[in-house]
Amino acid sequence: MIHLVVAVCIGMVITACTLDKIDYEAELATAIPQAYEFEEVVLIESNGYRIEIEALNGTFYKGYNELHFTVTNMSNNQTVDDAAITWLPIRQLNTAAYSCPHSYNVLYDATNGYYSGYSVFDYESGLEGTWEFYMSVEINGELFTIQQGIEVMAQPNMNLNMTTFTGADGISYYIALVAPVSPSVAENDLVAGIYQYNQPEEPAGVFPDPSQFSFSEVQGATVLLDPRMPEASMGNHSSPNNEDLTQMTEGLYHGVVNYTMTGNWTLNFMFLDADGNLLAGTEVPTDFTPGIEGAKSELYIDILF
Amino acid sequence: MVGQEKEVSLDSVQQLEAVEITDKMKKELETAMKMNVSVDEFLASSSSISFIKRGAYAWEPMLNNMSSERATITIDGMHVFGACTDKMDPVTSYVESNNLAAVNITSGQQGNANGSTVSGSVDLQRKTTPFSMQPKWEGAYQSGFELNNEQFYHQGNVAYANKKLVAQGSISYREAGNYTDGNGEEVNHSQFKKFNTSVGAAYKTGELSSVRVDAIFDVAKDVGYPALPMDLWLSRALITSATYKQLYEDGWVRAWDTKVYYNTVEHYMDDTTRPENLVHMDMPGWTTTYGLVSKAHVMKGKYHAEVQLNAYDNLSIAEMRMYPQDRSERTMFAYSWPWVTTRYAGLSINNSLEIAPKSELNFGGALGVNYNYAKYIDFNWIFHPGAPQEKTRWLPSVYANYTLKVNDFDFSVGSGYGHRAPSVSEGYGYYIYNSFDRYDYIGNPNLKNEVSYEVNASAGYQTEKVQVKAKVNYFYINNYIIGRILNMGSPMNYQSVGVKGYTSLDYATLFNFSLNTSYALTNNLHWEGTLTYARGMDEDQGNLPFIRPLSYQTSVHYKYKEFGFQTSFNGDLAQSNFSPEYGEDLTPAYSILNVSADYTFQLHNFKTVVQVGAENLFNQYYSTYADWGNIPRMGRNIFTSLQIKF
Ligand SMILES: [Cu+2]
Repeated sequence: MIHLVVAVCIGMVITACTLDKIDYEAELATAIPQAYEFEEVVLIESNGYRIEIEALNGTFYKGYNELHFTVTNMSNNQTVDDAAITWLPIRQLNTAAYSCPHSYNVLYDATNGYYSGYSVFDYESGLEGTWEFYMSVEINGELFTIQQGIEVMAQPNMNLNMTTFTGADGISYYIALVAPVSPSVAENDLVAGIYQYNQPEEPAGVFPDPSQFSFSEVQGATVLLDPRMPEASMGNHSSPNNEDLTQMTEGLYHGVVNYTMTGNWTLNFMFLDADGNLLAGTEVPTDFTPGIEGAKSELYIDILF
Repeated sequence: MVGQEKEVSLDSVQQLEAVEITDKMKKELETAMKMNVSVDEFLASSSSISFIKRGAYAWEPMLNNMSSERATITIDGMHVFGACTDKMDPVTSYVESNNLAAVNITSGQQGNANGSTVSGSVDLQRKTTPFSMQPKWEGAYQSGFELNNEQFYHQGNVAYANKKLVAQGSISYREAGNYTDGNGEEVNHSQFKKFNTSVGAAYKTGELSSVRVDAIFDVAKDVGYPALPMDLWLSRALITSATYKQLYEDGWVRAWDTKVYYNTVEHYMDDTTRPENLVHMDMPGWTTTYGLVSKAHVMKGKYHAEVQLNAYDNLSIAEMRMYPQDRSERTMFAYSWPWVTTRYAGLSINNSLEIAPKSELNFGGALGVNYNYAKYIDFNWIFHPGAPQEKTRWLPSVYANYTLKVNDFDFSVGSGYGHRAPSVSEGYGYYIYNSFDRYDYIGNPNLKNEVSYEVNASAGYQTEKVQVKAKVNYFYINNYIIGRILNMGSPMNYQSVGVKGYTSLDYATLFNFSLNTSYALTNNLHWEGTLTYARGMDEDQGNLPFIRPLSYQTSVHYKYKEFGFQTSFNGDLAQSNFSPEYGEDLTPAYSILNVSADYTFQLHNFKTVVQVGAENLFNQYYSTYADWGNIPRMGRNIFTSLQIKF
């Protein structure tokens, strides 16, 4: 009979506690910074114009940064939509100057009412150098230039990681993730910007000579995608129904990545040029190997969500 | 003998008794061998039930050699859904033998009253104490010990009844350690602890009406599943209902019985007890079900009918939380049931028409509508891009059965047709690891309804001394749902070897045969024998998994004064029609001998029975065709039990 009494008591005590269900939406957000609004990152007043640059979270991050420029005539507070703007980010390290993939000519986007550009910072500010930008603005034949130092912060969201590599053709390439910013266990549209550095053909002119810092979007390439979970315990786990990255009309590369669960993932790439030549990346084993960390392609980006 | 299938007869007197509030207390659940049994052991004594066993606890009942998705398993007509993706907790694991009065097993479409089915229905009927003209108390206490796994249990029942009021309660606690197989080896992770209690109260609201409320609370803790890579830390179920009954003295409708119910199940399995596992994993699951059952009994002359409305809403959630070897790393997470809602409503009518005094026609039909909604359908889209988030299915069912009695012989033939909807796992499951064939299973929201065509027949002979009954049934099942290897994706569970997706076979066929005989040699000496055979094949004539080979059981009961002696001998032949594709191998034949003896006496005017016996007397090492991962069954088990009634 004592057992019964004990059992009842146990029963009562247990009634008081349960394991909580996972809050899935909150779970997805744990590895992703919350604020993702476009906010002002640069404000300059020059030659009677106010020039504002907005970036996500009001910060320049390592990786792909979409930039929105607005130009306002301070005398009448009217926005200017016919300025010719150039944008050149420069990284100074010791005595050398480098740049990164960027939209040199920043064009007006009438639908949204701002000038739209991007900058793919490949290093954060610090030991790897300091960043600054050079801008030229031409309004009604009047040209002025701006130079200002900026701070590039570490990328807090691994889903916007980037990688750089030298292809078999000797060209330097950059792959920067643009989306999904906040992936979920689902089919995710994978978007990346792919750029190359164009070797200058002429000797350098007056600094900063844009021809020395020329980058362009890679045209017509294909990036073969094989996403895998790198953890040894996941045994090289992968997902089905992924789609390789191909270029869309706006210039970015689009594919589909399926994440079967949250956690660490590696996007393994093989990079083919427009003619289908393999320029970088290696095929990864597809075997399920529990206890052994999955081998990565020579070209990959790690993400986490 | 209890444990046999209940005949679906609608004899007027019996029927009214069945719906009468003042129905007599039915017999205790007991088998030929053991007077105190678990629900599983009790079900196992039916020749149409077989079991998949993953350990010593919570066996998965298979009706007509079909897995539990194909049957409707209910408690007093209430749907309860297990919360384990690995089927650790069939509905039968949430009741206890001392709160059940009987189990109604109905084969095939004749069991459509409680919901759409293919193999039939299993309804676990709770004990109900009748109202009493004289106020009275009743009670029983049972206790026992089983040596092999050091299992002890205590069970108590108490009931009070008067003219207007009934109150009853039961409580049970079982605790067992690891069991030992026939080679004397301990089977690790086979322990369990189970606590179950039930309360009920009924009040007579009028001459012919009453209300009744019932609740069952069940807790299982620290339950090992030796055949699985995980164990159960805790599961709890709360099963509640309120019933209103109204009888009518005249008119077509003679009785009307309406029940609303609510039940909730939580199931927490993890592998903290398995340090050898590479990944630490928690897999909690929850189900919540609301429902309504309303049943009217209609009678006019030689025609009887039972009309039943059945509706429920269920939400099933299961999570998979994995921790990398470096525990400080973030958790990996996925839903194995992505918040799947199932809503079902069905109307059934079961008719019986006495054509002549010796022949009877039973026929009936049901139409159900089944609706599914997956909140996180994104998970399912990974394998089935664009699958609909919501899906509505119509589930018809019809059957007819003709019975003829000729002298001591009786014959019946019948046929049926019915649909069933895929289960939550079959439709929406996501990387559910099946440790039997070692594949991760993926559900498919686009699966078609499974459509069953069945024929059945029986022939019997019955005199006072001899009973012989042979039954056959044959199912032809279109769109038979089963897992097939997918050529995409890779396993998620590290023990797994690949990914299987639930797919529909063109068809599968199942044949079941049983022969039950009993013979009373003298008043005190009875012999019983049972033989079953089944065969299941897929569209390519390959074997279906978990089909019981030829099995036999023979038992003798002898009664001498206050003593009873029983012995039974049972076994399966070798499973030669096994299915390697589903992880089966040839299971050798086995046979087991059990013996028991009991003595009945009065203890302070209380009827008391003591029993002692041994199962697997010769300590055979064996495992059956349906033992998950070929885990060995229990070796010799000496049991004792005591039952006192007051
Ligand atoms: Cu479980």
